[in-house]
Amino acid sequence: MALTLTCPICGPRCGYEFRYGGEDKGPRPAEADLSPRAWCDYVHMNRCTAGLQKEWWCHKDGCGSWFTTWRDTVRNLEVPEPAAVETSS
Amino acid sequence: MKRIQDLPTLRIDPTQGRSLTFEGRPYQGYAGDTVASALFAGGIRVFGRSLKYHRPRGLYSLDGECSNTCVAVDGIPNVRAETTLLKDGMRVTAQNVKGSARFDLMGFMDKLDWLMPAGFYYRTLHKPAAIWPLAMKQVRKAAGLGIMAPDFKMPGRYDEIYPTADVCVIGGGAAGMTAALAAAESGLRVVLLEMRPWLGGSFDYRVQPCADGRPLHERARELARQVAETPQIRCFTQTAMVGAYSNNLITAFQVGGNEDPFDERYIEIRAQSVVVATGCIERPLLFDHNERPGVMQAGCAQRLARTYGILPGKEAVFSVGHDLGLETALDLCDLGVRIHCVADCRQDGQDPELLQALAEHSIPVLTGWVAAKAHGGRHVKGVTLATVEGTVKRRLACDLLVASAGLTPVNGPLILAQAPLAYDAHTGYFLPTALPAKMFTAGRMTGRNHPAAIEASGRNAGLRAAAACGADNGAARAEASSALEALPGPERGSKLVTAPVRGRKSFICFDEDATVKNVKQAVAMGFDVPELIKRFTSAGTGPGQGGIPGHNLPLVTARMTASAATPKPTTVRPPLVPTYLATYAGRHHTMTKRTPVHDAQAAAGGIFRRIGVWERARYFSDDQDCREEILNVRRNVGLLDASTLGKFRLHGPDALRALQRVYVSDMRKLSPGRIKYSAMCNDDGCVIDDGVVVKRTENDYYFTTSTARAGQTIEWIRYHTRYDDWAFHLVNLTDAMGVVNIAGPKARQVLEKVADTDVSSTAFPFAAYREFTIKSEIPVRAMRLGFVGELSYELHAASSWMPALWEILEEAGQALGVKPFGVEAQNVLRMEKGHIILGQESEQRTNLLDLGLGFLWDRTKSDAKTVGAVALRQAEHDADRLKLVGLRMEDNASAPRDGSIIVDERIRGYVCTARKSFTTGEAVGMALVDAPLAGLGTRLAIFEDESDGQLRYARVVAMPFYDPEGARMKM
Repeated sequence: MALTLTCPICGPRCGYEFRYGGEDKGPRPAEADLSPRAWCDYVHMNRCTAGLQKEWWCHKDGCGSWFTTWRDTVRNLEVPEPAAVETSS
Repeated sequence: MKRIQDLPTLRIDPTQGRSLTFEGRPYQGYAGDTVASALFAGGIRVFGRSLKYHRPRGLYSLDGECSNTCVAVDGIPNVRAETTLLKDGMRVTAQNVKGSARFDLMGFMDKLDWLMPAGFYYRTLHKPAAIWPLAMKQVRKAAGLGIMAPDFKMPGRYDEIYPTADVCVIGGGAAGMTAALAAAESGLRVVLLEMRPWLGGSFDYRVQPCADGRPLHERARELARQVAETPQIRCFTQTAMVGAYSNNLITAFQVGGNEDPFDERYIEIRAQSVVVATGCIERPLLFDHNERPGVMQAGCAQRLARTYGILPGKEAVFSVGHDLGLETALDLCDLGVRIHCVADCRQDGQDPELLQALAEHSIPVLTGWVAAKAHGGRHVKGVTLATVEGTVKRRLACDLLVASAGLTPVNGPLILAQAPLAYDAHTGYFLPTALPAKMFTAGRMTGRNHPAAIEASGRNAGLRAAAACGADNGAARAEASSALEALPGPERGSKLVTAPVRGRKSFICFDEDATVKNVKQAVAMGFDVPELIKRFTSAGTGPGQGGIPGHNLPLVTARMTASAATPKPTTVRPPLVPTYLATYAGRHHTMTKRTPVHDAQAAAGGIFRRIGVWERARYFSDDQDCREEILNVRRNVGLLDASTLGKFRLHGPDALRALQRVYVSDMRKLSPGRIKYSAMCNDDGCVIDDGVVVKRTENDYYFTTSTARAGQTIEWIRYHTRYDDWAFHLVNLTDAMGVVNIAGPKARQVLEKVADTDVSSTAFPFAAYREFTIKSEIPVRAMRLGFVGELSYELHAASSWMPALWEILEEAGQALGVKPFGVEAQNVLRMEKGHIILGQESEQRTNLLDLGLGFLWDRTKSDAKTVGAVALRQAEHDADRLKLVGLRMEDNASAPRDGSIIVDERIRGYVCTARKSFTTGEAVGMALVDAPLAGLGTRLAIFEDESDGQLRYARVVAMPFYDPEGARMKM
């Protein structure tokens, strides 16, 4: 795997050592008044961004920690967090 | 053939003979020979026959760019003879021949080319559709490469390594070596990859003088010595680069020599920066019969003589388009080949010194002339030369035709790295318009041919690659850059596309027998992009990966369409060089874990099976029904090694919250000294794990998971609490602790003898948890459970204590009939009791409710956001699910096999576990069936494999089958 990821504890490591944990969708929704559709969307639906996205990774063959990082899904390269202005527009 | 023995450039050792056979006849070569050079020296000119037309094919280049010299060696098909070093005793056979390579009964196919225009499979063999299966059979018989026996087992040792480097240099020629040396100057770690068995590239066999007047081959050896003396450079020879990926990940494979502990190994290099210095190969000259044996490229002819000491022919004619061709003519003339004539397709631009030397050797040079047709059947006998316009022609006799249209850079690595390429009108090459980050090019592939410029470009690229790794070498870079600029830059390349011919027998791709005429046909049918023509004519889709047609196909296409000024290159894909699948498979280790009481069980006659990552004792006798093991647990007492269970400590202020998140039960109700059985679900409510949880003290929990889940449990709990920032620690104790389960009506009698505590049913009741010592020494965590349906204690102890604990229990129980039992006996015992094993009584879609375990789920703790709870709430109202039921066979003789399907008009479920029960005398089991079939008394039809369609029948019955009141485990 050509991808390298930067573990917050172990530093940059080969992508083989990590497990993908999905897009960053925010914390689990509260269960009160949760519609089945909203729940299903949270669990199963993804944005499938072509470009930069924030996502979870687990350093499974290393320290075992879960962390978020940014990846360019088109080039499959880890990238620095983009500037905050993009989210407001 | 006698070799020339006194050349300083030789790479063979004439004192060490090597024997081989070709088509059954013995031949002799020397150490250092390739299979191809040894056979050529032995007089072999026809190595095999071509894919479609069965044309004779011979030595053309020496780096395996085409399948001409693919042969079978010791049963391995498609071995590239040109790059495979000769080993003693090789048995070599020709491919795609009926008869022999020289006399091929299928040779008539060459006359049938008019029957097979471009794309004829697609166009002619599909109507009516019934033709195709018949046609396919015939096509497969007539065409193809090597054949492998279906039962062939690949011999050899295959390995893999994953080195990291600061700079990876691809290509060990003069440019690559200087780049590696320059990068190593700053102390960086450099990996240097070279396809041939030695460093040197095109300098290795050339005798032209370099800057200081010495011949180039001496300079090459000096650079190689410097590389060998530089400890930071790790050099891999006989290593072909096969892939380039993002982040400068380079993959390659290396062929091992006699000294190496591997035959081939896969190499994956993670480098910060990369220098590509792969040099050039020759662009094939397109003329009629351009692949006749006896026609070869200039480098091939010169290397045969200089590297292997073999004169490629006696009477030679040259038709070339670059100065290296002129150089070769001079060199071969000096070595004793008679050169009748050198045709150079360029009108001007030749090195005047070379022209003068040719004149001094009395070799006539025809500028603006080119070979138009090679004559001869199995071997070249003559050539027709023509002016490039085709206006004047001359025929000459010869036995060697050195033909080459120009040079072409080996830019496969750049294409793989997704560098955009564009046609460069000056060099005539496809050159990168931009390079990926931290990737640099050097040497002849940039268009430079002057030896000093090649080295200077290597130094320049090496320093820049080092700077990309952070080396502080600005001054050196500035100096190297101006040195490079002072030297000759990229040279003008030959633009000749084809000789003046119609092209019916001018082969653009040797591997696939595609001709210039085929390209013409494809263009006439409307194809105008080389990438599409490549697929339609299959030119460039053979094992050579476009090494022969890669440059010519875009040029020919551009000339035939209206895009002459902008040819577009075709792409290549990894692996760039054919690689054995065995090399990718690697060593294929089988790795298993053994429990701490493995040896004790082996001594007791345990028969081990691999279960997940573990080796576990499955049986303790040859009786795979385990009658004695089962009955001993029901009547006396048995010992089971349950050390493979996942065992975890979870502690910290937020430990309870973490448990509440992943377990379906309410863990607030846990009290010290009690055991809670519970399950974990995924977000779909499907059961992923079951086990027991114990609260040892406040905020300190000990829990077990099923064997299969042990590896993922920490990751799972951390994942589902990742947003919460809770303070808890998880410790995986699976390997640190072992478990022995002592089960049977006499279990207490055994434990009483060794435990330093009261184990009576009042002091240690069912579902209780105790910590005590055994024989005042071994601390154990004891759980009173009943998985197998009898009085039983699970003793958890440190792995280092486990062998002693096992021995103590065996000794204490000797008089009571204690015997070990294995995983299969446990499987039957718990099935009789209706206890499930996840993965056996469940599959991915089985939820908690399907298994009848809904009572575990506490629906009052929605604040905990328990994983799976939302989905379970929805699934409660879903009537259309599989349910776990007990079944009893109508004929009690035997149970159906696990996995047999339950049918009516369609599949309605399957049998999870079923056995003939020795305890009850009935054939019983558990099955997952559609909910409507789950009612007690329902008759189920079971279809079993290999039953000749005979259905078997069973009734749904209540579970458990054994001791429904649970009295025995609570006794």
